Amino acid sequence: MSVDSGLGSRVKRAFETALAPEDVIGDPIRCRSYECDGLTGYRVVPELVLLPRDAAQVAAAVRVCAEHGVPFVARGAGTGLSGGALPVAGGVVISLARLKRVLEVDPVDRRAVVEPGVTNLEITAAAAPHGLYYAPDPSSQQVCTIGGNVAENSGGAHCLKYGFTTNHVLSCEVVLPDGSLVTLGSDTGEQAGPDLRGVFLGSEGTLGITTKITVRLLRTPESVRTLLADFPSIAAAGDVVSDIVAAGIVPAAVEMMDTLAIEAAEEAVHAGYTVGVPAALVVELDGPAEECDVQFEQVKQICDRHGCTRLHIAGSPEERAAIWRGRKAAFAAVGRISPDYFVQDGVVPRTRLAEVLDRIAGMGAEAGLRVANVFHAGDGNLHPLVLYSAAAGETERAEKLSGEIAELCVELGGSLSGEHGIGADKACSMPKMFSRDDLEVMRRVRSAWDPQGLCNPGKVLPTPRLCGERPGRYRPHPLEEAGVIERL
Amino acid sequence: MSTTTTIRPTDLRSLRDAVLDTAGTIGIAGAGTAADWAGPLAPVDAVLDTTGLTGVITHNPGDMTVSVRSGTPLRQLQDELAPHGQHVSFDAARIADGATVGGLVATADAGPAALVFGSLRDLVIGVTIVLADGTVARSGGHVIKNVAGYDLTKLLHGSHGTLGVLAEVVLRLHPVPERAATLAIHCSLEEAAEHAATVLGGPYEPAAMEWTSDGVLLIRLEGTADALDARVQRLRTALGTGELLDLQAHSDQGADRDRTEQGLPENLGTGPEPGDVPPAERAAPPSDERPVRRIGTDESAVRRDEPWERYASLVRGAPEFATLRIGVRPSLLPAVLADLPTESVTAGLGTGVATVALPPAAVAAAHARVHAAGGTSVLRSRPAGAEVPAWGPPPSAIAVLRAVKAELDPQGRFGPGRFDPWM
Ligand SMILES: Cc1cc2nc3c(=O)[nH]c(=O)nc-3n(C[C@H](O)[C@H](O)[C@@H](O)COP(=O)(O)OP(=O)(O)OC[C@H]3O[C@@H](n4cnc5c(N)ncnc54)[C@H](O)[C@@H]3O)c2cc1C
Ligand SMILES: Cc1cc2nc3c(=O)[nH]c(=O)nc-3n(C[C@H](O)[C@H](O)[C@H](O)COP(=O)(O)OP(=O)(O)OC[C@H]3O[C@@H](n4cnc5c(N)ncnc54)[C@H](O)[C@@H]3O)c2cc1C
Repeated sequence: MSVDSGLGSRVKRAFETALAPEDVIGDPIRCRSYECDGLTGYRVVPELVLLPRDAAQVAAAVRVCAEHGVPFVARGAGTGLSGGALPVAGGVVISLARLKRVLEVDPVDRRAVVEPGVTNLEITAAAAPHGLYYAPDPSSQQVCTIGGNVAENSGGAHCLKYGFTTNHVLSCEVVLPDGSLVTLGSDTGEQAGPDLRGVFLGSEGTLGITTKITVRLLRTPESVRTLLADFPSIAAAGDVVSDIVAAGIVPAAVEMMDTLAIEAAEEAVHAGYTVGVPAALVVELDGPAEECDVQFEQVKQICDRHGCTRLHIAGSPEERAAIWRGRKAAFAAVGRISPDYFVQDGVVPRTRLAEVLDRIAGMGAEAGLRVANVFHAGDGNLHPLVLYSAAAGETERAEKLSGEIAELCVELGGSLSGEHGIGADKACSMPKMFSRDDLEVMRRVRSAWDPQGLCNPGKVLPTPRLCGERPGRYRPHPLEEAGVIERL
Repeated sequence: MSTTTTIRPTDLRSLRDAVLDTAGTIGIAGAGTAADWAGPLAPVDAVLDTTGLTGVITHNPGDMTVSVRSGTPLRQLQDELAPHGQHVSFDAARIADGATVGGLVATADAGPAALVFGSLRDLVIGVTIVLADGTVARSGGHVIKNVAGYDLTKLLHGSHGTLGVLAEVVLRLHPVPERAATLAIHCSLEEAAEHAATVLGGPYEPAAMEWTSDGVLLIRLEGTADALDARVQRLRTALGTGELLDLQAHSDQGADRDRTEQGLPENLGTGPEPGDVPPAERAAPPSDERPVRRIGTDESAVRRDEPWERYASLVRGAPEFATLRIGVRPSLLPAVLADLPTESVTAGLGTGVATVALPPAAVAAAHARVHAAGGTSVLRSRPAGAEVPAWGPPPSAIAVLRAVKAELDPQGRFGPGRFDPWM
């Protein structure tokens, strides 16, 4: 909640001049819609919400912020899971929701130029008539915006083979914290001088606001082959992943689910998963047809070799969609087997998957809580779901376990976050992964871009204020409750 | 001019001490293969030679990652990875001359494989750097998926030794393809552009595609031994032409595969090919580290690699010309190149990246032409003693660049001159 007496009418008028009066929202009730993102345990009502209509208005709004020392937070669709778009008390939220034009799709050079409020899936929709698509595919892709993806360097199931947002963004037009409008990156992967675009990508809205993005488009693969395989143990499924890698195959996706996750997903969407099996893998290959066929045979043999108890090969696009529906439903579905849950997002080196899952199970048993696992096995990105009941007073224990799991990932040589970012949620865990000097250098970089410290302050890097606070109880995102999006 | 000391640290601690114990300006030097790229280094008080910082720190074959000290020649790293059937999917021309991992990152270099895998910025997943005040900082890590904190690697990529010293680098690896084949088509640049459109517009998934001013378009396909023949035939049919250069010659054994992938003959060693531009005298490492490369005795091996060897030597440039690296939208590339008085050209028709040799006097206008097309350009090499502008018009974010430099190296110790007149 904002505590001070407000920004004052002079500042508000300045914003109204920069935009249009009706695009500056001051009504606390309406502002409340912006009080949190997908991490609903943290809430702060912003002083004002600004709804610019173009890049010039974004720049004008940021100039007002710079002039009056007003902290600002950019907001896309608000699906972030780490509190990146959490407003700052006494500050404004700048929503990019109205900048949603697809400015250009160029099938010859295979790229698209879009405004930040365009959703991830809309880019692919615009590219599809040309046989092209935009590769990074977060599970929230039908609602999350490309501006948010750029800020979070978002990933998805297909990032093992195709890379993350940073590998697909050629350039960004950015409003810097002083209100100037610049372009980072260029039309090609080639660069002259240090890669500022690469620094901006994944900076979680702390270095500026992007108002136009040029992305690479890829040709839709000629062939896609998908299988669902059951295994007698997590270890056996893990060995399959290792052997696929050892065979020199880079699948488009390799996803793993454990008993609990399978049970929840199957109950929810009846996608044809086998209830009761210890582990299931979804493996997808894509590419030229000849290549895909050869490697798919190899993958099937590897599955057999490791005691696969059931191998289901998608025989049609519908069957493929069903396999993915099961996988993607798992998160929301966990709500059916537990009143509450936390989603964690840690990464371990792929070779330590079995070890980390074992330890997580042990930690869960010790805490007296169940942990369901659904994850990107190909790149070691875990999403342990810590199940608990707030009504039964388990919240604190669950929160602690979830945090310990993230830190366990770091201990095993991994990362605190694989795709959801640090935001407000994990800023206080950053010292577990980085030394004081590491963090100090990041702070220096940030200060070069934002000397006044007005651009999404308090996120990513630990601050005493943030680390002293405790978040409120976790609540599902309204979009999830409405069944619009699912967690992954 | 004061005398320059050269310091050659052998580990992270001595590297840090070297930075702390020296006063004044420092030139960071790797193998020297790009010593004259970008702006000329102003006279410096000390040269920090990274070639003592070598060796793999950890290679995790199952995770397909490797961490390596920055002075390690990439060629040597590839040799160590080859028995595991893995490599860094990166094939810049100067690797053959012994370019170091750190130098390759610092110069934002890349080769034809960038069409699929990008430049090193896309393959580096972690980094340890030493700043001018002796601060040692790390970002990224050993997992390919990691979005914790700022990606400092990107900042150092293309920094030409001006922001910090790269001490250690963690790289993402890929499997060495079982087989590779190159289709060569003799054609003009305009015809090549048409072929490129066909290739990119279909399901052929080329691994590399480059036209050179020898009048040849090279299209490389890579994949499994069993599927490649059919893919190549299909591509050839679609193009209605093409000389198949190396389909039969490729063996599918580890190290051999790797070399082929890099466009190097086997039994190689390490020195320059006859006809290659020798790296600057001053930067040549001690001769015992540079056995002369023997050309493979296997005739077919030599033949199959020839076009890519020739390509690499064009990229390396010629001593009497300036070499400019440019990047523009791929479809604009032929028109931009047509406007430049080029002596030689290599053009990535899928990437939009070209390396051209020009008379030094034509470089300023070339920068302007590329800039007008919305592209970027960097000077790579210049004839000894020639004054040639290294950079075109500054980017719109130049103020951020200067601010970053001021934060990380407030006294301007590293690489003075490299970014003149930008910063
Ligand atoms: C032993 C030796 C002595 C030299 N003495 C002099 C001298 O007295 N006077 C003089 O003018 N030149 C000298 N040079 C060359 C000069 O230092 C080069 O211009 C050097 O700065 C670039 O060498 P090189 O790194 O290009 O090789 P590359 O490895 O190709 O490096 C290219 C670029 O990358 C940067 N770079 C390389 N490695 C790293 C790293 N690990 N971290 C960050 N940046 C990196 C370099 O600074 C350079 O800009 C010397 C070189 C060597 C090897
Ligand atoms: C059900 C569910 C599933 C998810 N699955 C995935 C997944 O598979 N992979 C994944 O990576 N993420 C996933 N996420 C997380 C989230 O969707 C992504 O992080 C997404 O990129 C956020 O986009 P957004 O538009 O909602 O951004 P917001 O939540 O509005 O903002 C996120 C951050 O971006 C900044 N920002 C937004 N727009 C801009 C801009 N124009 N310029 C600068 N900064 C800006 C904000 O300040 C904030 O720091 C999931 C979330 C949910 C709820």
